[in-house]
Amino acid sequence: MNAAHVDELDRIELPGGFVWRPVRRRFGIRAFGVNAYTPSEAGGQVVEEHTEGILGHEEIYLVLRGRARFTVGGDVHELGPGQLIFVRDPTLRRGAVALDADTAVLAVGGKPGEPYEISAWEAMFAAVPAAQQERWDEAIAIHEAALAERPDQPALLYNLACMESRGGRPLDALLHLQRAVELEPRYAEDAVRDSDFAAIRDEPGFPAA
Amino acid sequence: MKGYEILSLDELEPVPHHGSNLLPIREVLDYRAAGINGWSADAGGQLVPPHEEDSGNEELYVVVRGRATFTVGDETADAPAGTLIFVPPRVHRTAVAAEGGTIVVAIGGTVGKAFEVHGWDTHALADALRQSGRADEGRAALRRSMERRPDSWGLSYNAACFEALEGNGDAAFDHLRRAFDLNEAEVRGYMAHDTDLDSLREDPRWQELLR
Repeated sequence: MNAAHVDELDRIELPGGFVWRPVRRRFGIRAFGVNAYTPSEAGGQVVEEHTEGILGHEEIYLVLRGRARFTVGGDVHELGPGQLIFVRDPTLRRGAVALDADTAVLAVGGKPGEPYEISAWEAMFAAVPAAQQERWDEAIAIHEAALAERPDQPALLYNLACMESRGGRPLDALLHLQRAVELEPRYAEDAVRDSDFAAIRDEPGFPAA
Repeated sequence: MKGYEILSLDELEPVPHHGSNLLPIREVLDYRAAGINGWSADAGGQLVPPHEEDSGNEELYVVVRGRATFTVGDETADAPAGTLIFVPPRVHRTAVAAEGGTIVVAIGGTVGKAFEVHGWDTHALADALRQSGRADEGRAALRRSMERRPDSWGLSYNAACFEALEGNGDAAFDHLRRAFDLNEAEVRGYMAHDTDLDSLREDPRWQELLR
């Protein structure tokens, strides 16, 4: 049986202080977005402060265990096990802090009226541990696998270029950055300021802001 | 309308459905991105009705509270709270509660397809209300869903079943015609075998519709 306990899921500590427990990736689910989150400690972030404005996802956050203090659109609500908050409006800013160390929250999301597409952030988050330890080949491979499914996803291409630049692959980095900027011109400005591109910034063909 | 909503699974009135108790999360929230519903049972009670997802749905079951015993294909496993079980389409599955007050949440969708509300959960809610003598509440639930999804053939079809079972032939045919207009091929298929519609079969309007 393809089953796992939430405590058996991978544990990926992210810079925002919350711990991503990949569910969709663990099971290879392709029909909807689903992930779990735990805090690194009581009082820590359990759901990242964010909006779904770009993806347009309707999200449900279900507290599986412990208690969490959610802030949604400036309103504060404490939720316990078996309680959920459904954020219909993708533009509402939302996040949650864990009130107990063992708090676990399940997030379900997707864009109404459209087939589910794997969000680009999943590969980027999955590559964080490798990138933090400068295991660039591994970080690059995670991005390449995601790009095999969504070859023209600009955020993935940009992030891949970052990893390649840091990992000593300047030509690949330049090509992928150029493609990312072609698809999403605002990345040209980001690239100029991005320290990940220090190694390739003076190369001919580096996108101008 | 606020841009968000809070719901306690404990506050949902369980809906009897195929020997289980459905917690109609999707219907109550009008969630549109995937299917999501709960199932509750006391120790020994059936949680997830035995079924396969013929429509191609991938499903994830999450044990939110208590403990369940899942059977997927020919495997059986103990699933305490916090367990997630993934079941691909066309695999038989069921679950029984191993502790009192067990709740499982099921999330589902079809790969490569936008989630569509076919209304089986709305129908389950409406039909349970009908069978407990609260037909007006059941009808109101169907009407609310049809107003949200005027293009859903499944909701109109289920409303036809509801009215046929209530003996309201005129209303049943109105809904059936609407469903027919929205998706004739699917509706013809269901009409052929659905005993909910038996009270309509001798009516001249039945043949008129199928002509």
